[in-house]
Amino acid sequence: MQSRERKVAVVGMGGAFPTCSGLADFSEKLFSNKSLIREWDEALAHGKNIRSTVSGFITEAEMGLETIYSTIAENYPETYIDKLERIPDANLATADVGSIWAMLGSLDAIKMAGWTSEETESEQTGVIVGSGGAGHVILRPAWHNFFELGRKTRVAGSHNVDRAMVYRDAANVSCLIKNKGICEAIGSACATGLGNIGYAYRLIKFGVQDRAIAGGVEGTSLETFIGFDAMQVLSRGFTPQESSRPFDVNRNGFVCSFGAGIVALEEYELAKARGANILGVIDNYFNNSDGDGNMFFPSFAGQKRLWKGLLGNSGLKPDVVKVHGTSTPVGDSIELLSVVDTLGEEGYHISAPKSQFGHMLGAAGAVEFVTALLMLQEQKVLPCLNSLNLNTEPEQFQKNEGWEGPVKPLAAYRDLLPQQSFAKKINSIVCLNYGFGGTNSAIAVSKDNA
Amino acid sequence: MDRQEILEGLKEILQTTRTINQSKVPGITEETDFIADLNTPSTEMINIAAKAEQKFKIEFDDDDIDGLGSKVKDFIDLVIKAKARA
Repeated sequence: MQSRERKVAVVGMGGAFPTCSGLADFSEKLFSNKSLIREWDEALAHGKNIRSTVSGFITEAEMGLETIYSTIAENYPETYIDKLERIPDANLATADVGSIWAMLGSLDAIKMAGWTSEETESEQTGVIVGSGGAGHVILRPAWHNFFELGRKTRVAGSHNVDRAMVYRDAANVSCLIKNKGICEAIGSACATGLGNIGYAYRLIKFGVQDRAIAGGVEGTSLETFIGFDAMQVLSRGFTPQESSRPFDVNRNGFVCSFGAGIVALEEYELAKARGANILGVIDNYFNNSDGDGNMFFPSFAGQKRLWKGLLGNSGLKPDVVKVHGTSTPVGDSIELLSVVDTLGEEGYHISAPKSQFGHMLGAAGAVEFVTALLMLQEQKVLPCLNSLNLNTEPEQFQKNEGWEGPVKPLAAYRDLLPQQSFAKKINSIVCLNYGFGGTNSAIAVSKDNA
Repeated sequence: MDRQEILEGLKEILQTTRTINQSKVPGITEETDFIADLNTPSTEMINIAAKAEQKFKIEFDDDDIDGLGSKVKDFIDLVIKAKARA
């Protein structure tokens, strides 16, 4: 089914990153071991009604945007102004904040890729971008005005649907860059970002497209935050910088964050022929489901099958594993043990970028894929920040009858989990992301050694 | 409220409609066509109508809006009709 002859190169990247002015700032802060997580004033404003108050959020002002509120519908964002004049008003009118970030990231990725207008607007260029949540920021006031205030439907105006539909990010990017190929969004909860990149990879690998803008987005939304806060799965009790602590024995939940990651993919020989700067070559993408009927609980067996599907008989052993590493109690331990069971106890390092910026949900896999590209570029491993103390006792599930994974406690794998960024020769990285519903995604990306 | 006042009020609404080329707004007359002259997205007309309801303190019938022509004078006629009904 796959064409052995066709390879897929990554030739551009961009996005939206908390507290960062752009990709260079993002890279500098990450490799300086900084945290991008802050107290969130919007959460704090709700006092005891919200458990967690820390987030890697991004404000409109930080992205050079201004919200124009409707004069007829209460608290309804009518449109946005791009103060830096990067996006035309007509495109802003159909976009929610996340879609604007997707458009900005796409422009940056295309610029880095060096695609001509003809290439960008080609029938052979696709847009595959998805989001984890709905367009809550648009929908909430729209529904409120209709259902609670008894207003007419037209009070919400004609941009309720386009700014809240499932594939709004892809649609807005496509309308901006005017590609004529495929435009779709993949949704797979917290694996969405990587799922979109993986699907775009397959389109190129299978010869359906030559180029694609791909990635994941999660626009800042208190509504999204509230949903997870209600589940009691968010971190609390630490300073903002210490709140996301994958693998640490005292971790108690993830930090709900927001952002966007966009990459430009291109068929390898086409990219090579035009002298593109190749940021990485995708070796393979694989995804599967746990198949155990459990919506939330991670599956060791599912992750083992994920690895098997990704690596096959390739013999690939990555220098770095960029884990999902959310900072949730069970998720981190299952993941670390499945990695160790697959790759052994040494010869690679584990990087957990969520320790620095939290869990960006539908954007996570895409932004973290960008961090993998940065690791390849900088030849440095990003840390598992705050993984101060690892459990010296086996996890409860490791004692269960029928457990087939490693029996050593997490502390046995201390050397795999760097607490600070460090320089290392990196040829290949595997990125892992999982989502509610038992969905698992993995991608392997390498330096261009040709 | 005469037609000129409605026209001026409509221009104020259009100045807040960012999908319309703002340089064309001052020159709008009753003969201006929303679609042909201003390139107004068809989806934007309902936003303009909703804002007009608020500005002129009127309420359009759904049938009125469904049958609305594309020229500014059609819009002014509709406002006058709604005003008379109020």
